[in-house]
Amino acid sequence: MVRSDRVFYLSYLKNELLRRRARTILTVLGLAVGVGLVIAITSLSRGLDQAQRNALNPLSSIGTDLTVTRTVQQQQNGFFGGGGPGGGGGFGGGNEIIQANQSVLTDLSKLGKPGTHFTHDFFLPGTQLTFPASQAAQISKLSGVAEVSTGLMLLAEHQEGTVPKIVATFKTGGQRLNVSGRLSPPTQAELAQMQACFAKVRAAQGGSGGGSTTPGGGQGQGGGGFSQGGGGNGRPRDFGAFAKCLPARLRRFRRTITTPQQTLKQVLSPPQTNIKSSAYAIGGVDQTKPDIGLITPSQVVAGRYFSAAGGREALIGTGYAATHTLKVGSTLTLNGTPFTVVGIVQPPLGGQTADVYLPLKQLQTLAHEPGLANVALVRAVNGNSVGKVQSEITQNLGGASVASAKQVADRISGSLVDASNLAHNLGLVIAIVVAAAAFLLAIVLTLSSVGKRVRELGTLKALGWSQRLVVRQVVGESLAQGIVGGALGIVIGLVAIEGVRLWGPTLTAHSAGGGSSFFGLGSVASRAASQVVSLHAPVSAELIVFGLLLAVVGGLVAGAAGAFRAARLRPADALRTVE
Amino acid sequence: MGTNGHLYEVKDATRSFRRGDTTIMAVDSVDLNIAPGEFVALEGPSGSGKTTLLQLLGALDRPSSGRVFFDGRDLAELGDNDLAALRLRSFGFVFQQFNLIPTLSALENVEARLAPTGVGSDELRERSLAVLGEVGLAERASHLPAHLSGGEQQRVAIARALVVEPTVILADEPTGNLDSANGADIVDRLANLAAQRGATVIVATHDAELASRAPRRLGMRDGRLIAAAA
Repeated sequence: MVRSDRVFYLSYLKNELLRRRARTILTVLGLAVGVGLVIAITSLSRGLDQAQRNALNPLSSIGTDLTVTRTVQQQQNGFFGGGGPGGGGGFGGGNEIIQANQSVLTDLSKLGKPGTHFTHDFFLPGTQLTFPASQAAQISKLSGVAEVSTGLMLLAEHQEGTVPKIVATFKTGGQRLNVSGRLSPPTQAELAQMQACFAKVRAAQGGSGGGSTTPGGGQGQGGGGFSQGGGGNGRPRDFGAFAKCLPARLRRFRRTITTPQQTLKQVLSPPQTNIKSSAYAIGGVDQTKPDIGLITPSQVVAGRYFSAAGGREALIGTGYAATHTLKVGSTLTLNGTPFTVVGIVQPPLGGQTADVYLPLKQLQTLAHEPGLANVALVRAVNGNSVGKVQSEITQNLGGASVASAKQVADRISGSLVDASNLAHNLGLVIAIVVAAAAFLLAIVLTLSSVGKRVRELGTLKALGWSQRLVVRQVVGESLAQGIVGGALGIVIGLVAIEGVRLWGPTLTAHSAGGGSSFFGLGSVASRAASQVVSLHAPVSAELIVFGLLLAVVGGLVAGAAGAFRAARLRPADALRTVE
Repeated sequence: MGTNGHLYEVKDATRSFRRGDTTIMAVDSVDLNIAPGEFVALEGPSGSGKTTLLQLLGALDRPSSGRVFFDGRDLAELGDNDLAALRLRSFGFVFQQFNLIPTLSALENVEARLAPTGVGSDELRERSLAVLGEVGLAERASHLPAHLSGGEQQRVAIARALVVEPTVILADEPTGNLDSANGADIVDRLANLAAQRGATVIVATHDAELASRAPRRLGMRDGRLIAAAA
């Protein structure tokens, strides 16, 4: 059986709210606006948080807490800051960097025949020195490290154009050289043999030679004597014949020395050509660890991630894909090697970002950096051990530069960050102030209502209503207003969110370039980048429940304040009150 | 019944209020016995302490000193909830200002009194309508107090007081806001209905004509009971 009091009290409550319409509407609207704003602000803040997680917390989006690189230590005074290419010789570690980057000086002679079209990609490590990928194992042994992956971040210089005429060909050599030298005189045996030979030749030629002049008879005569002196006084008719009489040792020297002929190619003064250069960043990703790496499957916006085998596949950043009209299925040819674009990715801002990603081994081969990496990505066992791992790595790996997620995130600025901070700080304050104001309004109105109803509530007490019943009535009225206000507030909040969606504001996030723009090559690791995020405000069931709960709590708080006052009424005093 | 067959036994009851530095003796050393079924008029000018004494008798207030026994129970020893229960079952109040709940209809105002007794909703409606009929307002049951005349409002208040079949009806200046015709009507109804039910009626009034209808008249001046006016 339905107890009469329930029915009666509900109808009393309904009458009370409906017949004091102005006050009820004011209270309900106050709560509704409060709840609506809290819902709108909270969901906007959530939207910003999501955007922030994607854009502003780049490391965590790729499963990483720390990135380890080996960079040239900068002097405190920023000695390296403005050095142009080649300007930093002799600066300790700087040498290594310069050497590593020297291959960008194009050897045009190797590009092909002049006049033909060529494309070539040069891969430079930028400011990050390479280290054997196996060193990552060293990091993974440190306590607190959950997983380590390696990557190779290179600055690529794409050159394309016509091979210029740059080579002049010279023929050298072919000159005759006179050689003078001192030879040991012929031995007696040789002399005798020679004379016999000469005599035979003379006889054969008719003895015109005259005399028995001993050729070269004077000791220490110059070699020139041989060339002319074979004939002595007479004119020998056939030098060749006489020459044959010389011992082999001496005969050799009589030959003319001819320098070897060679063709020399020489680079002329820098050629004027139509070669165009464009720089982009390329990253080698250890595709066997998809949960941690320079890029992970969660950044893929189209297509798919690398296959585990790591074939000739490439992932392209959205920006690079747009400017180079690449899409999933396109072929990207790097130095003659074709790579199939398997996915388009949205690389995380501010971290180790690239335009093109290849499986690590492919890039190592392409860049002639076998087995080398220049960034290690480290995930700690838990958030608390990040600091410890960071200092361990710094201590154990000399010259390692360790960046934490927070440090990377701090480099990111822009309206998204501003809005996010706004939503977090000011937004939270606004939400609290609005909710508090709504609560306060409800409390004030309830108290004033109880104040105006002192005689009524006193009468109810005189009629035999217990304390509990009177309090229940007052709280019930406030609660009902809270529920109605909450429901209306949810509608207001959803309308506001829909408004935001239709208005569709966009926010940008910029990642400042890394600390060093070294040798004008820029830092591959943390290039200046920006990302446009369109703001949306996701609404969840919990948020709606929370909004309703907030209004109910607001109603209860107001009701409790009113009930406290009502409970303190002594019926005799209440009845004395004159309206 | 209480000791000596009295419904009420008031012994040296005093109710004082502090107003700043002065203490007002609203009820000053009152001794009073009332038998069941009596119709008692409490006469006196405004501020003589009639209302305070009625509140002591109706368990709306406690004496500063002295005792009020109702049906043999010392009201000072009852807790708030017991007093509320006592008011609900045993007392019916009628006020000078009517004190109807402005947002409730005539019928609902009567129901407001009966509902806390826990009767079923059908019985609640039937009994409330019946008693409204007794005061001649069955046709005005759905009207809000603001749409009723003063006399009608006070009749609703009488119906509200009677609906629980109380032992005592305490009426504080019930005709004070009514013209003489309506006032006489109210007093007649009160007297008749109480007599039918065997209820005790205690009426505080400064209206001598109303007081003259009561078999027993008590006078009050400055919180003290005095010999009744002739």
